[in-house]
Amino acid sequence: MLATGIALVVWSGWQNLRQRRSAMQAQQQGRVDLIPGQPSAAASDSSTGQFQLRGRPAPAFTLLDLNGNKVSLSDFKGRPLVLNFWGTYCAPCKIEMPWLEEFSKKYAPDGLQIVGITYDSEVGRDTIARDTGKLGVTYPILLSDPTAEKDYLSGTDALPMSFYVDKTGKVIEVTAGLGSKDELESMVKETIASGER
Amino acid sequence: MKMLRLIIASRAFPLSATLALFLATTAQFGNAQFGMDAPANPRAYVLYAAEQQTVPAARRAVLELRFQIVPGFHINSHTPNSQLLIPTALTLEPSPGVKTAPLQYPAGEPYSFPFDPADKLDVYAGSFTVRLPVVATAGDHAIDATLRYQACDNASCYPPKTLPIKIVFTAK
Repeated sequence: MLATGIALVVWSGWQNLRQRRSAMQAQQQGRVDLIPGQPSAAASDSSTGQFQLRGRPAPAFTLLDLNGNKVSLSDFKGRPLVLNFWGTYCAPCKIEMPWLEEFSKKYAPDGLQIVGITYDSEVGRDTIARDTGKLGVTYPILLSDPTAEKDYLSGTDALPMSFYVDKTGKVIEVTAGLGSKDELESMVKETIASGER
Repeated sequence: MKMLRLIIASRAFPLSATLALFLATTAQFGNAQFGMDAPANPRAYVLYAAEQQTVPAARRAVLELRFQIVPGFHINSHTPNSQLLIPTALTLEPSPGVKTAPLQYPAGEPYSFPFDPADKLDVYAGSFTVRLPVVATAGDHAIDATLRYQACDNASCYPPKTLPIKIVFTAK
């Protein structure tokens, strides 16, 4: 047990050094890598879990909104979507949510639909509504459930996590963590453009 | 991802501390975190540096409770700059022969996430010490307590967690 532990520590130290060098290079370029396949710690395990949804149909869901109404993925059929998992305790989520609100309005003529999915729905609708109200969010806010978390998050609890779904219903991108506003808008544009006939 | 985050702890920590972290984590959650059946929240972001302390009996004394935050992460301070965030807080269970006064939390340090430098949060990073004033009868004492905190790294945040601890000290 002890020998295994020491071996793991040595190996992990070497691995971590590599990851930190990559992360430092990314920081020097003034960005945080969020996209699978690019060299950052956040993206290092991108071949598994939630990132496997890239290129696949978005999993169906039916969730409750803050008014208790059922909302399904199929309600947005044919529209470019951003499914944004967030939490009331999540500071970076609350940085990007006003950006998403802005894009929701800016790209409404293109059919864009932003949907917030609250990870910590157990805090209650009042708390969630208080937070989204303070943030100026008007796009739909849904309450997550174990099935949606299993299908989309695959066990991770890192927030924010966003899934970009084009008008054909395919997940074209998955991002974990806070990126820049420009990066976010760029992915929104890609989502709108994807699936054009 | 969970395994990678455990790895992140290894460089900035001394080997002994990292090994202690590894052993503590695996002891608490078993080896399942490395397998397919890993629990959703298999790790702690804050460790308690338990140490035996000795204070004078029947007189006011202050216990120092030291906590270590896993490198690469921070947690909200006891007074985060937003009502929407979860403050770090320690709750104490009653302990026979021990009277406690309100806990004294350290000041946090300013922190901003990338892409939003104007928004200054108040956080603990690295290590922090909570001070607990006590008056205790002579003898060995143990106070059960629970630290509640919420951790983030430089891009993501993680659900609130609780860390049960046992504060052991001797009054004589």
